[in-house]
Amino acid sequence: MIDYVGLMADNLLYLLLIVVGGLLVAIGVHFVPVGGAPAAMGQATGVGTGTVQLAAGAGLTGLVTAAAVMRVADDMLLVIASGMVGAMIMIGSTMLVGNFMYIYGVGVTPASGKVKYDPITKDRQDLYLSQGTEGHGVPTSCYISGIIGGGLGGLGGAMVYFALLSVTNATTALNVIGLASILAVAIFFINAVIASYNIGGTTEGFIDPKFKRVPKAIVASIVVTFLSAIMSIIIIGGI
Amino acid sequence: MDPLIGMGVLALMGAAAVIAGISEDSESNVGSQSNPNSQVQLAPQMMYPHRIFNKAISGEPPSNALMCAIGGTTAAILMDALGMSALFSITIGAFVAALAHGSYSTMSFFGRPTSQSRFKQPVYMDILRGHISPIMAYAFVTTFSIVIISYIMISVLNHPFPLALLAFIWGTAVGAIGSSTGDVHYGAERQYQNTEYGSGVNAAQSGNIVRNGEAGLRNGIDNSWFCIKFGGPATGLAFGMTVFLSGWITMVFDPSISQMIAWASVIAGLLIVLVLIIFNRMIEVSSRKSYGPYKADNDEVTA
Amino acid sequence: MAAGGEPKKVKSAIPPKTMIAFGLIGGLIGVYAGHFLSDMFGPVLSFFGALGAICAIVWGADTVRRVCSYGIGTGVPSIGMLAIGIGIVAALFGLAVGGIAGPIIAVIVATILGLIIGLLGNRLMKMGVPIMETATAEIAAAGTITIIGISTAMAGTFEITGIIDNVIANGFIAVVFIVGAIAILHPFNANLGPDEKQDRTLSVAFIDGSIAMILAGIVVAGVSLASAVPAILIGLAIWLFAFAKYLGYVKRDAYKVVGTGLLPTEEELS
Repeated sequence: MIDYVGLMADNLLYLLLIVVGGLLVAIGVHFVPVGGAPAAMGQATGVGTGTVQLAAGAGLTGLVTAAAVMRVADDMLLVIASGMVGAMIMIGSTMLVGNFMYIYGVGVTPASGKVKYDPITKDRQDLYLSQGTEGHGVPTSCYISGIIGGGLGGLGGAMVYFALLSVTNATTALNVIGLASILAVAIFFINAVIASYNIGGTTEGFIDPKFKRVPKAIVASIVVTFLSAIMSIIIIGGI
Repeated sequence: MDPLIGMGVLALMGAAAVIAGISEDSESNVGSQSNPNSQVQLAPQMMYPHRIFNKAISGEPPSNALMCAIGGTTAAILMDALGMSALFSITIGAFVAALAHGSYSTMSFFGRPTSQSRFKQPVYMDILRGHISPIMAYAFVTTFSIVIISYIMISVLNHPFPLALLAFIWGTAVGAIGSSTGDVHYGAERQYQNTEYGSGVNAAQSGNIVRNGEAGLRNGIDNSWFCIKFGGPATGLAFGMTVFLSGWITMVFDPSISQMIAWASVIAGLLIVLVLIIFNRMIEVSSRKSYGPYKADNDEVTA
Repeated sequence: MAAGGEPKKVKSAIPPKTMIAFGLIGGLIGVYAGHFLSDMFGPVLSFFGALGAICAIVWGADTVRRVCSYGIGTGVPSIGMLAIGIGIVAALFGLAVGGIAGPIIAVIVATILGLIIGLLGNRLMKMGVPIMETATAEIAAAGTITIIGISTAMAGTFEITGIIDNVIANGFIAVVFIVGAIAILHPFNANLGPDEKQDRTLSVAFIDGSIAMILAGIVVAGVSLASAVPAILIGLAIWLFAFAKYLGYVKRDAYKVVGTGLLPTEEELS
């Protein structure tokens, strides 16, 4: 029989890290400017895809970078910073090329329909909306919001992975890497979907009024990630 | 590893990533997948029946993750259990993935139009026959390239993740990038060539997609012909950048040498992100200058 | 992608209770049969696990069609990913602590987690989907059985050490993850539309399940080569049978199935 209390006491720090990591993923999704199907038609501001999917693409790219660094270094800050940078590069390249599409392929200027002035560049937005649309492309504020969101996602994913990999266990490194990576992916998806439910699938990032709903996602994410974290630690610590 | 050899490996991965991005986008355009497909779905409801393949498997990230994971798994089994060479294993793996992808695509092709029978959207069998082979061929190329990238990362760069998982992750990433970049060219431009160039699609136009081709009625192959000119290569560029740049920072500043160099790799990554932000701002400003606003500024007149 | 017409309660020829019983009982029987028969006669009989997974996939797909017809705002795929995300955590937890009762514990844990997420979604985040709580619980449970079933078929056992050695350490859990998720979300997504019918959607669930079974067959070749044969052959047989059924339903339900032709004329459309 596994000594559950002892296991939890030994890994209290990692439990905390997993919850924080999951929480960062959920918050990060709120930053990623995603317009869903309308954005793909140039009808709404943001990247023309789904929230969960873009966050997952960025966060998992970060996880790959973090895992590569963690193979040779065991400094937590370094690992999660690498995860963050990997995710930022992915989402940055994606949004940049996405803007290529809007500007050179569709012939529109990036503009937001939710604010009159871009809060960072102070550029006028409403005059640049083409008729019958709510915005198109990724203006600078949304771009920076997306970088933050992708970075938080990568940070969170890497933190969960690092914590799971560090749980005290009695098995081979190969087994733990397999378990930690897939559990990190699972916890990532759970949090990304919860956050996506919270914003109803589309957002423009921190300039969007929906951003005020973040506290609700925080509560939901903490509850669910906490339960998942306890189970994950028992899985890895128990074998 | 010798840094020059490392650069060569990275260049190979980057090249494979560009190919994967191009074929991913073409695959989603031939079959019409992900967000632009909502218009293909909507058209019959708005009295615009069409002859375009309706490939609603799921969003592109899960469906690409699926085929890459299948390819990676099959290749890993062939290598480990049967001792086959990597190249053969990956080829066969990609073939199995293409077959599975063909099955998912076929079900979606039949399913969506059939569920719209009240809008009188017929199911054209020749569209299935003509489109399923390019779809599977592009799926093969995507899977092959992604599994190659994953295999190189593991065998040469000693990445700790197993092949199937790495293929799954890169599949998710290429799908996310394809649906964020190349699909815009298909959704906002190709589907709506009947509207004026230089504006987003007016919401009132939704569903009024172009249904006539250069010759005859337009189908998905016509769409991929158009999108391969810009949407496809751009998707390849975005995915190539992701794979290359995220690998480059740890290749040049190898974290295994010292803690200092490891942090240098993080700083290099942040600098790259900064360059991306500046670049994005530059094209935003240039587009604002060259295109100008759509409406006159009424505020200043009234004020 | 809310292109499925107005939200409404879907018509189901087979009531949800029957589907739950089919998925839960069929799935667990399959998982246990796969485990014990492999124990006695070798991994050649592990394909029963995949049969159990197919039962769970059909149940999950039916639940997806019930909840997604309300329009959940984020598209059909996200709920499938959620199901499998919970499924991975719950399945591994159940198998790690439960021993022989593992699958049952996993299903209970998944149901509780699903209920909590459904409650949070509806009460806290005000999604306003009437059956969100029970549906998320059902989907999570179905996802869990799917994962355990496919993994059992791949490893020939559901003991956690066997699963870790044969499915997780070599990364095949990734394919279990995504093939399970797609099998649960794809049937409804592929048949989305106002004239969607339950029997047609569920026949696609069988097809997707058979692909999962074939994959399990490919992976079990790593345990023993001969045991791949029955899983792949039975999987192909299920695929062919279900596809024939599906094609029949398509011909029954479609406006018309034509070899080729022009678009319907104005008179036809009006």
